[in-house]
Amino acid sequence: MAVSKEAHNLVLSFADDELCIGQNHSWWIAIGPFLEEDLAFTSIAQDELGHARALYSLLTDDIDHLAYGRKYSEYRSAHLAEFLCHDWSSALVRHVLHDMAEQIRWSALINSSWTELGDTAERALAEENFHIQHGLSLLRRLLSSDEGHKRLEPVVLELVPHGREYFVDCDLGLVDNGVLTMSMADQEQMWIDQVTETFNEFNISVDISQEAQGMGRSGIRSNDFATLHDEMVAVIRIDPKAKW
Amino acid sequence: MKTYEVFLKKEGKDPFIHAGSFDAPDDEMALTYAREAYGRRSEGDQMWVVLRDNVLVADELELGMANRTHKHNDGQLVAELRRAKSSNES
Repeated sequence: MAVSKEAHNLVLSFADDELCIGQNHSWWIAIGPFLEEDLAFTSIAQDELGHARALYSLLTDDIDHLAYGRKYSEYRSAHLAEFLCHDWSSALVRHVLHDMAEQIRWSALINSSWTELGDTAERALAEENFHIQHGLSLLRRLLSSDEGHKRLEPVVLELVPHGREYFVDCDLGLVDNGVLTMSMADQEQMWIDQVTETFNEFNISVDISQEAQGMGRSGIRSNDFATLHDEMVAVIRIDPKAKW
Repeated sequence: MKTYEVFLKKEGKDPFIHAGSFDAPDDEMALTYAREAYGRRSEGDQMWVVLRDNVLVADELELGMANRTHKHNDGQLVAELRRAKSSNES
């Protein structure tokens, strides 16, 4: 099918989010809080990179160029996905916020009129249900203790407002032509409700009223992006012919 | 943290086989970690996760008792006796 500019940008945003989150999660290889969590978290990182790859492949035959070879201003990643989160509490909270959004975003694509995209969504969603279960059970467990609550609350309050950027993409015509089965605004509201409910359970009242500016989507990179990008292109700089 | 034991079964007639052990804070997380640590590459179609405390452990002394050769019946002795008997009868 002919892919509209909106559909192209929607998929590119999603792919860039997944690339950044996969790269960021993989910082934790061998330094996760304990062995089992290390394995689980970095296995999720691998899944997210797989999602990025699947999405890029819908847009190009030269995945490496799209993933690694663009100018900073050509990336569309949300800032929340770019943050380095070099502290376990923020890495975990971001994991949950990201995967809650991701689950909703895939769900809105599962019966897409863009059939390859719909197939990709179906495969990804099977993994995603597991990711969110992982993140939520660990987060709930930690929030149930005084120490965990004390350490996580400020991180939650800091990171939550950034999450709305995942839904900033323009969906003009995308519901009408069936690429999306749910508008971005409806997806966003669903995410806001889920996040609010999750943290209300632990007496953390999050403020998500502020509309996202969508800076990442419009080509402005967060301060952390350069470090993240350097890390992700380290191999291809040494060997431009290296394969994923 | 509690210790759990993982058993995997592949499709077909193979029985569940011990895959290894790991630690988790509770049963819910145990299933999550078991899947990632022992099943992420589709090593099996079915998985049992057992709290190690629930495993009954046999007495090692009894198991290792000295001479148990009379329990290893390979049927040869019986076969020889039968052959001898039938040749006597003929």
